[in-house]
Amino acid sequence: MTAKVGNIGSFVFERSKRGNLRRLFMTLLIIVGLLLYVGGKVKIMRLGYQIEALERQKRELERENGSLRIEASSLTSPARIEELAIKRLGMIRPAEDHIVIVKRKAAPKQ
Amino acid sequence: MERRGRIIAVFLIMGLAFALVVLRLFYLQVYERAKLAARGEHQYEQVVVLEPKRGTIFDRMGRELAVSLDVDSVYGVPSKIDNPRELAQRLARILRENPRKLEQKLEGDKQFVWISRKVDPTKAARVRELDSEDIRLRTEARRFYPKKALAGPLLGFTGIDNHGLEGLEHAYDGMLSGVNGWVLAEKDARGRMVFPGGPGFQFRMPKPGNDVILTIDEVIQHIAEKELDAALATSHAKGGVCIVMNPQTGEVLALSVRANGHGREAFNPNEPQRYKPAEWRNRAVTDAFEPGSIFKPVLAAAALEERVVHPLERFDCSAGRIQLADRVIKDAEEHGVLTFTDVIAESSNVGTIKVALRLGKERFYKYITAFGFGRKTGVDLPGEIPGILRDVRTWSGVSLGEVAIGQEIGVTPMQMAAVYSAFANNGVLMKPFIVSEIVNRSGGKGQKIMPLPVGQVITAETTAKVNKILQRVVETGTGQKAKPSGYTAAGKTGTAQKIDHQTRRFSKKEYVSSFVGFVPASAPKLVIVVMVDTPEGDIYGGSVAAPVFKAVAEQSLAYLQVPPDDVGGRMLLVTR
Repeated sequence: MTAKVGNIGSFVFERSKRGNLRRLFMTLLIIVGLLLYVGGKVKIMRLGYQIEALERQKRELERENGSLRIEASSLTSPARIEELAIKRLGMIRPAEDHIVIVKRKAAPKQ
Repeated sequence: MERRGRIIAVFLIMGLAFALVVLRLFYLQVYERAKLAARGEHQYEQVVVLEPKRGTIFDRMGRELAVSLDVDSVYGVPSKIDNPRELAQRLARILRENPRKLEQKLEGDKQFVWISRKVDPTKAARVRELDSEDIRLRTEARRFYPKKALAGPLLGFTGIDNHGLEGLEHAYDGMLSGVNGWVLAEKDARGRMVFPGGPGFQFRMPKPGNDVILTIDEVIQHIAEKELDAALATSHAKGGVCIVMNPQTGEVLALSVRANGHGREAFNPNEPQRYKPAEWRNRAVTDAFEPGSIFKPVLAAAALEERVVHPLERFDCSAGRIQLADRVIKDAEEHGVLTFTDVIAESSNVGTIKVALRLGKERFYKYITAFGFGRKTGVDLPGEIPGILRDVRTWSGVSLGEVAIGQEIGVTPMQMAAVYSAFANNGVLMKPFIVSEIVNRSGGKGQKIMPLPVGQVITAETTAKVNKILQRVVETGTGQKAKPSGYTAAGKTGTAQKIDHQTRRFSKKEYVSSFVGFVPASAPKLVIVVMVDTPEGDIYGGSVAAPVFKAVAEQSLAYLQVPPDDVGGRMLLVTR
């Protein structure tokens, strides 16, 4: 592999052989670089699709969450609860004589 | 040589062809570059508008009253549709719309046409099942009012483009709507959207709208609506208003408006198209009515403050009539000699006018304006009117007496709520308000709205005298049906004739019955205004409106856990 001093022919041969190797190495490097670049691009595209799909899933879940919240909110409306309490559970509003007001008297000083 | 000549010819031809290619390349890459690049970008890039989420409207306890939710809208690409009639018929079955109208939309060579916006999720799912390239779905935000008709005219509603058209949705549209965003997306060969990410990814996130927190309490709002509806049903009235206010702050706790008469369901902002504009108008601020006797305490306050009368001074009202210039004003029923307190408690027109004449129109007018009549209260609701108050210089010989008994003057229910709040708040008039807080969800600064005193109209000493008179109304006067069980109350009844628009005179058939007051009288927590428009049969405020006051007061005070202050023998004293 090393050049022999004094032998011109062999020197030329050695140099050109080294040049070829270098060229080959450079070509391989470029190809690998290109492959890496293209691979990266493809991966970005694939991740882009994945992000888009996940975004859609997120939107769907958010929408479901929102509609459940609205449902919960309308189910807790005072008009509905009052109707259920009176009609289904038979509850009544306390009459005047059902209530005893308890007031704390100041404790006698000792 | 011949061979050499041929070689040269081939080279020349090839060179020429190559030169042509280079020229064309130069033309496309340099000369036409900008135009072609733009066309290319247009083919694979797309600006997607990101709609901001409209803010939520909450009640004072954080309960949702208006919420936005993403739903699907259906659109079509008519230029690509081969058989519009068949497609229209299939869509009409799903969307339950007129097939002919749909067909008209789908004809022609447009690139985009809305077919049906903001459809139900079940309909959207069926459209998706069509799996048509020419009929597609797109999400849009739709406004929902989960409590249905609760506070409908107060909340208002939004249009198809999510902008507030009425009520608070309109008044606070700038706060609620937010700012659009966008993203530059790429389309792949199959037309699917790809968000490129990485450097050069261009986007602006939408700025969500602010949330708005109201002073309204959902439960008190429900109580006010339910009791007002019950009164409208029994009296066959055309409409009514009920306002519940915190007198110390001016916070409106409930504002119920019914403008569509009995028998018709209340305005539901989820389906505004089913109602006429008159049915969603917020009559608590947009309409003036003659207050009648509920205005008499304004005269009482002015006369007591100016010391022209003492609460126990006696007035002879036995004549039952009083001459004012060319008019005779009568009492509704016979009275004898009454103290000034009883003049108001028994609602004697004659006694009231005698005191008004003593006070004089200039001084009376000064207090009328100080209480805010003839001026907007400044409440944060759209369409508020100042009411009708003629300048004192244009008053006729009868005006002083007429205004003293609540005629020749137009007031809004909101003005009456503010004035009685001053009676319940040591004479300090507060500015009424509905929105207590604006919450910024994108990290910016929110805003808290603080109670704003307008001014001290009468002294605390005079206020105490007025309150005693108003308590007397409920204890022994015309407002006994307003007395809530377990609580002391103060207030005033009113029965005012409406103006007949055809004859331009006071109607003998149409009245506005009202009751305005506060509870508990000893330490007021709530001011309640009840106004019933055109009841049939019994028309007196003491029998139509006062029971609504009682019911709303009892239930609201129990809900707010205000201890009863008038329980007589039912009190159990304990020591610990």
